[in-house]
Amino acid sequence: MGLVLAGFIIALLLLVATHPSPSAVIESLMTKEIQFAIYLSLVTSVISTLLCILIAVPAAYSLARYDFWGKSFVSTILDLPLALPPLVAGVGLLLFFGTTPIGDFLESIGIVFVFTPLGIIIAQFFVNMPFMLRIMRSTFTDISPRYEYVACTLGCTNLQAIWRVTLPMAINGFLAGAVITWAKGIGEFGAALMIAGATRMKTETLPISLFLNMSCGELDMAISAAIILMVISLVSLYVFEYFGGSAKF
Amino acid sequence: MLTIEHISKNLGEFILDDVSLRVEDGEYFVIIGPTGAGKTILLETIAGVYPPDSGTVVLDDRDVTFVPPRERNITMVYQDYMLFPHLTVAENIGFGLKNRKLPPDEIADKVAEVAEIFGIGHLLHRYPNTLSGGEQQRAAISRAIVLEPSILLLDEPLSALDGQTRERLRIELKRLHAAYKTTIIHITHNFEEVFSLASRVAVMHQGKVIQVGTPDEVFRHPNSAFIAEFVGVQNIFRGTCTATNGLSEITVEGTEGSHLICSSLCTGNTDVTATIRPEDIMVSCTKLESSARNSFAGTITDVADNGSMVRISVDTGLPFIAAVTRQGWQSLGVEIGDTVYLTVMAQSVHIF
Repeated sequence: MGLVLAGFIIALLLLVATHPSPSAVIESLMTKEIQFAIYLSLVTSVISTLLCILIAVPAAYSLARYDFWGKSFVSTILDLPLALPPLVAGVGLLLFFGTTPIGDFLESIGIVFVFTPLGIIIAQFFVNMPFMLRIMRSTFTDISPRYEYVACTLGCTNLQAIWRVTLPMAINGFLAGAVITWAKGIGEFGAALMIAGATRMKTETLPISLFLNMSCGELDMAISAAIILMVISLVSLYVFEYFGGSAKF
Repeated sequence: MLTIEHISKNLGEFILDDVSLRVEDGEYFVIIGPTGAGKTILLETIAGVYPPDSGTVVLDDRDVTFVPPRERNITMVYQDYMLFPHLTVAENIGFGLKNRKLPPDEIADKVAEVAEIFGIGHLLHRYPNTLSGGEQQRAAISRAIVLEPSILLLDEPLSALDGQTRERLRIELKRLHAAYKTTIIHITHNFEEVFSLASRVAVMHQGKVIQVGTPDEVFRHPNSAFIAEFVGVQNIFRGTCTATNGLSEITVEGTEGSHLICSSLCTGNTDVTATIRPEDIMVSCTKLESSARNSFAGTITDVADNGSMVRISVDTGLPFIAAVTRQGWQSLGVEIGDTVYLTVMAQSVHIF
């Protein structure tokens, strides 16, 4: 059964990869539109991944190490975006930034999320945050706090102990988490579509480009975008497994 | 000198309940007790890993109750080494020196010196996960001792090691203590470690320290039924003490009516628990003419050979276990079912 399924997956991938002629793919890759999509995807996914790291690492550390009132509730809520359809998350973000006083205020100081690349970043961040958080939490949970105790008796402050001992020991989980967060960021479609829209050459990431070109019959362009996304998924899955990510998720 | 007064700490699963202790400079202080007695959290509280809920920790006349670990100069070694896996052995041992901002060449010198003492000088460039358990523990102890701490805390440092390595490292610890005169507090389950290392020993149970004394005091005069059982005293009898003519007799209910055991240590007319260490019982084929107050005749019901000592179970109406040397056993020339006489001095019957 597993073999049949694996065969089916390989067939699908090969079909996508071999459908257009190689020259057509190269030609599409050279167009301004696909290059813009690659550029925008890279920039937004890298920024959203950095944001995820910045928030998820300390949050995961405190969830792993400390007991506090309402911890299990917070923990469940933070995992919620995992189960939530990205489209719904996108609608929520759209309403938050488009209709609330907070959104209006941010807009008045020039920070606009609706129908802008900034919206793509916030969408990727919101949807992918739980992945980074879960992986980092289980990574920290697996590291005995006694390493930090020993580091403290050897002259470290609490922060130094985390920085010099716990974080270096968490490096594999960190890399696995960062790679999967980045790969999911590049592929993010639903939530980004809702808040940032699908405007050619403005909020056109690779998945949006695939969608736009497919809708207007530009098959070669669409499939070029699909091939790039496919390669990114394969490579990042490999890296994720290399750092033992699936054991931590 | 370390003085702990009325320390309590509740970590849910583990607790400390009003613990007071005094450890003198240069002492080798051993703590024993069953799993979950609170031994590790006592050490962690001394190290300053977390503040106690109440009580004080005073180190060399300085109240360090709320002082962070790095300002205490107390280092700690755990059972499972806790070497930092991303650092080499040299970097692990030098970790604390680096925190003290010593110049690199001085760190290298000190690391090499301590590693040489522990026989791991050739392993300095290796990573911890490539070392054997004994080598890892030597590295961990080196890392703790190189800072010349005022107290070295050892949490079951030898428990994870195999028999031979454990014995060798135990001897090294003894040598280390003699050489450095560091105050050491050492947790163990192993009574051999108590007798070979401890100047004093504390017994913990359910978060409390219930007895402190020299190993001999604690093992020969346990102050509670729990300790007697824990340290392996075999002959435990409960009865009523009656004082007559300067000597006390304990009435113990046995299988065939009551039996009297004399003890020089029993005073009031109260319910007591009496213990007799198996090696304090003399075994003979005929009744011994001696000044010993207790003499019982009984039948041998079981014989267990534990190598150097032979443990004999004797039914005198009370179940006694006596330990004799292998030679003593052979010269007795008796077997299961034979009658023997047990003789016990009144002062060997401990009361609590």
